Amino acid sequence: MTQTASAPVGATGDPAAPTAGRRPRRARPRRGRASLGQALLWLGPALLLIFGVVVYPAVELVKASLSRYSITGLRKGDAGLDNYTNVLANESLGTVLTNTLVWVVAVVALTILISLGLAQFLTKEFWGRRIVRWAVIVPWAASLVITARLFSLIYSYYYGTLNAVLLKIGLVDTPIDFLGDDRWIMPSMIAVGVFVSIPFTAYVFVAGLHAIPTDVYEAARIDGASPWQIWRRITLPLLRPAILVATVLNMIYVFNSFPIIYTLNESNPGFSHDTTITFMYKLAFKSAEKDVGQSAAAGLFNVLLILVAVVIYLRVSRWREEEES
Amino acid sequence: MGTTTSRHTQAVRWGGLALGTAFALAACSGGTGAGTAGGGDSSGKKATTIKLVAAEYSKDHTKAFWDKFATDYKAKTGNTLEVQIVSWDDIDQQSSTMVQNNNPPDILNLNAYASYAKDDLLYSADDVLSDSVKSDLLEAFVKSGSYNGKMYGMPDLSSARAMFYNKKLFQQAGITAAPKTWDEFKADAKKVSALGNGAIGYGLPLGPEESQGEFSIWMFNNGGDWKKDGKWTINSAQNVETLSFLKSLSTDKLTQNNPGKTNRQDAFDLFASGKVGMVVGFSPLAATLDAAKKVDYGVAPMPTKADGGEPQTFGVTDYLMAFKKDGNKDAVKAFYDLYYQKDQVNSFIKAEGFLPVTKSGIEEFKSDTKLATYLETLPNAHLTPTDDPTWDKVKLAVQQNLGTAMTGDPKAVLDKLQKSAEAGG
Repeated sequence: MTQTASAPVGATGDPAAPTAGRRPRRARPRRGRASLGQALLWLGPALLLIFGVVVYPAVELVKASLSRYSITGLRKGDAGLDNYTNVLANESLGTVLTNTLVWVVAVVALTILISLGLAQFLTKEFWGRRIVRWAVIVPWAASLVITARLFSLIYSYYYGTLNAVLLKIGLVDTPIDFLGDDRWIMPSMIAVGVFVSIPFTAYVFVAGLHAIPTDVYEAARIDGASPWQIWRRITLPLLRPAILVATVLNMIYVFNSFPIIYTLNESNPGFSHDTTITFMYKLAFKSAEKDVGQSAAAGLFNVLLILVAVVIYLRVSRWREEEES
Repeated sequence: MGTTTSRHTQAVRWGGLALGTAFALAACSGGTGAGTAGGGDSSGKKATTIKLVAAEYSKDHTKAFWDKFATDYKAKTGNTLEVQIVSWDDIDQQSSTMVQNNNPPDILNLNAYASYAKDDLLYSADDVLSDSVKSDLLEAFVKSGSYNGKMYGMPDLSSARAMFYNKKLFQQAGITAAPKTWDEFKADAKKVSALGNGAIGYGLPLGPEESQGEFSIWMFNNGGDWKKDGKWTINSAQNVETLSFLKSLSTDKLTQNNPGKTNRQDAFDLFASGKVGMVVGFSPLAATLDAAKKVDYGVAPMPTKADGGEPQTFGVTDYLMAFKKDGNKDAVKAFYDLYYQKDQVNSFIKAEGFLPVTKSGIEEFKSDTKLATYLETLPNAHLTPTDDPTWDKVKLAVQQNLGTAMTGDPKAVLDKLQKSAEAGG
């Protein structure tokens, strides 16, 4: 694992597929230059898309965050930075940020851990593997709103199947109020978050595991390495790219996850179990603020927050990589 | 190996940034697809197409009614009525987005109007209601639909609350008549709870869906109100007493689990499952119960705090408001003229299981003995102060905070609400 000078970035059209064994030479572009017109022709559709779904909404969002809105949604004039200061002054902001941190860290960490194990299992040959693989995909294929609704029924205090089972096997005497008891709400939501994040993550790891050449394992076995050593010294380091991709994407998905928290937290008043995403929504439409401007400001904070979180994560993981080498 | 890894890191970083931005922004700007079809913008010309955004009261009847109405409207006026039905969960968001994009519908069906009137977006009744229609509307609703002395909120239908009780549970608990006072009510709730086997004395929904409704009817029966003589009285002595009484029901375990986090629909569902002794309901609940035929229930006036007090009811009406747009006035007026024709408005109300908003409607509904309890009280029903734009925000604050009084201090909760109401929401 020696560190060589980094290869030129910007290889043409080569997506970041984790094909670990490929030589960089193949990806190096020819130096012939296309004319500006030609380049624009190729880039056009992508640029249009980026402008339409990223730049334009971003501009509108910034504009909205600097405007004063009536409760009806009517723009009343400029607000300066009032919306930003109001969001920062919101008495629930601390709770919401803590909730967000707990939610993202817990869901991502648990997802990665469970998926690592699951991926190992899924790459083994066994009877019915195909069925198990399909089964793992199902939570991913189902709409998040439907999954969340389903879980709100499973968790229900009076009719929930989970409580019925727990009571039946005598684990509890009285039903647990999974979605109403302050101690249980967050863990219950995290469980659902992990449930829907596992399929994607596990499949990224399955792909990563398949990309590891078998001769490395053979060599290790001949040298007398124990299974734990093999996993710790070979599998895990070679899975690094996959883990990195999975972590970053999951951080973003989970941070932006709306339906699970909104649905499972529906009957709880206030912001006590909201993350910054549902906080933003409630500011605009449900809470006493009912202010599109404040919500837009909160939205910009959200973008910053996830950007900073991702950059910090990448910094930290790169720093460790350099230390290892 | 090292090179590929660092290249991946780069790619992941930029990919991550782009994705993060895109998702976050997509999340923020969601719901802008409000449709661009609202006619009537062509300045100077008369609109021949108007758009109605209506709330979905029921899957079965709402769309069916408005579709038929649009056909009748076309036949009568030659104008086209575009109908968009939106669920109650989404309608606040949709209407807000439409106004924000400067593309409101011509007619909007909502449970609030005063903020829109305050923003000068609406036609008043003077512009779009015929005199015969206006004089037919019930006084209570004309009052609740008027902002600054002018009517802007035309009522589409109404409801009134009453106490529903489970006859079977009452019989098992040895209760012979519905409670008339709060003391009797509490004693009855105790008796039902004592039956065991999952029986719940009273279904108390103070969750965010509609806690202002539940609290309203109890406060009215203790002589309290949200506003009196133009001043907010949310934390009046009576109201603190009322909320403390509701809290005592919870602490004495006479209610379902966690009433501060129970939504109205959940309480109705529990009552419909036959577990609950009493619940405050309205005519659509009766329709559901009649259809399911599972619970034998009775309907009684609300118990009052004072012995021998006059039972008060809580009335609710929703509104059909008309947005000022160039050239749409005549088409909008024709809409109201048709809607308030007896065979239209009353058949809508009948299908949805609600109560009339017109004097002629009351006459027509009188023959229905099941509605007798509500109809008598309807003209004198208390409403929430929907005529004050501040209420639109206070209502949300109440929904998001009232439930916390079940585990916290009722007075502190009401003090806070009072303060925010006085500060203008």
